Amino acid sequence: MSAWVSVAGAGVIWLALLGPVIALFTHLSGSAIASALTAPGALDPLVTSVESGLVTLGVLFVFCTPLAWMLARGRLPFPRVWETGVLCSLLLPPLVIGLLLVFLVGPYTPIGQVLAWLHQSATNTFLALVIAEVYESAPYYVLGAQAAFASVEPRLEQQAGLLGDRPRRVFRRVTLPLAAPGLAMALSIAWARAMGAFGAVIIIAYHPAGIPLQIYTTLQETGLASALPYALVLLVVALPLPLAAYIWSARAGRRRRG
Amino acid sequence: MLDADVEVDRREFTVRAALQVGPGERLALFGPSGAGKTTLLEAIAGLVQPRRARIELGRRVLTSTAPPVCDVPPWQRRVGLLRQNPGLFPHLSVRDNLSYARSASRSEAELSSLAAVLGIDGLLSAMPARLSGGQAHRVALGRLLLARCDTLLLDEPYTGLDASLRRSLTDLVSSLVTERSVPAVLVTHELADAQAFSDRLAVIDRGEILQIGSPDEVVLRPASRRVAELIGYLGFVPGGGQVAGIHPERVVAGALPDQGLVLTGVVEAFHPAGAGWEADLRVGEATITCRLLDKPPAPGAEFTVTALDPPYFEPDRNAPAVGGVTGPERVHQ
Repeated sequence: MSAWVSVAGAGVIWLALLGPVIALFTHLSGSAIASALTAPGALDPLVTSVESGLVTLGVLFVFCTPLAWMLARGRLPFPRVWETGVLCSLLLPPLVIGLLLVFLVGPYTPIGQVLAWLHQSATNTFLALVIAEVYESAPYYVLGAQAAFASVEPRLEQQAGLLGDRPRRVFRRVTLPLAAPGLAMALSIAWARAMGAFGAVIIIAYHPAGIPLQIYTTLQETGLASALPYALVLLVVALPLPLAAYIWSARAGRRRRG
Repeated sequence: MLDADVEVDRREFTVRAALQVGPGERLALFGPSGAGKTTLLEAIAGLVQPRRARIELGRRVLTSTAPPVCDVPPWQRRVGLLRQNPGLFPHLSVRDNLSYARSASRSEAELSSLAAVLGIDGLLSAMPARLSGGQAHRVALGRLLLARCDTLLLDEPYTGLDASLRRSLTDLVSSLVTERSVPAVLVTHELADAQAFSDRLAVIDRGEILQIGSPDEVVLRPASRRVAELIGYLGFVPGGGQVAGIHPERVVAGALPDQGLVLTGVVEAFHPAGAGWEADLRVGEATITCRLLDKPPAPGAEFTVTALDPPYFEPDRNAPAVGGVTGPERVHQ
């Protein structure tokens, strides 16, 4: 009896969380989807979002994974200061991040001038979109990856060292495989944040438009019925990666349990 | 030969210890929890930074804080460390765990024969999560043996295992250490484990080795009252200007003056203990504990026992209240 009550309770919460998705499906019509997605250039925002999302994930994995490992292993002096820094960027509203990025990488800043010298710009370019997505998703990845590394028992790394592995090899053979399910989850959360990034994006990367910005501009220009199909596209395109990460993590856990 | 002379600072005290363990020799390092046993092993393995040390293994200098300064990193030491937690890699099968070490033999025949000796030959494709505690320890031991370490350091590896498994693992390690002729050090706070394993027994307390010798010598002739207390002497009875140490398991009922110290006291309490009985006997102002084969008389009755060939120590002014008999008229020798 209590098991059924638990399932029913969980079901209610699950449906409540799914409320917006259910509303999306109930307000979509086949003809609206067809007309919105068959318009010339309609799928360009989709390509832009996927490309920028993948580049963002690459940047996060390469640059933020070592930071997360050092935070998890206490390799940094004054670790609370470092963690507070990560939390600060998490707590800032994305719109504010975008406004502040203008001061940081805008065309009249030192970084902006260096970029201009390299014939690049961090305003209204693909680079600007990636920068905005990185800033919006990085804290989620760093905190998730830190937790993933912290879950790896340091004594296993020590044992691998005593068995003859240098630290880099220990990382590759022990730390990374054991943290991988957690890292995959952190990456999938970062992916979701990057795909849905809007606040910072609208300030510094109005062009080229990704899907969230396309939803916003379509809503402004032609109304909700034309905008909703892009939300469906966002869902369909963004969902497989986190879903795959969930399935892979569960399989890795099952394999370890034998 | 493992030759270690180490000083490591800890929060409460400094561990100062020197050990020499020959090829194929088994040394047990026995002491209470927090005595510095694990710190000493970790210094040998290169996992903690010593204040002063010289550690040699075979002809290699692993650590030297004196010029020429040397600190071989853990991955080049070829020191095998087996802890209470076997530390198997959970994402690798038993076979992959066994052959993990870079120096591990790639010979399938050697892996199979060692697995058979360890009794894990049917588990090679299993994941560590499916193993029992004893099986996991056997795999961890096999991993060290296949890694061809130059010394084996065993840090309370049998804690939590049942008695028969401890005995079989101890026998197995002993025979393999002899066969491979590597020095081995077992750290334990269980005297029976230390005795079963070792050729020599070292007693360590607060970072200092108090006595080192054959297990019999250390147990029957502890060098000091502190060593006696650590290895299980529970009563200290004055006599002839000295203090006799009374071990509960070296007491027999009745007066046998030619075999030791005869003590007459009053039974305070008793209860069954294993196949016999354990009784508390009040002798003067001291209480001694005796393990007896036969049931002692009821509490309050007078009872005579003989402490077999007890060790004697100088009286310790700071000793706890278990000693300090002031009624020597009840003590006969």
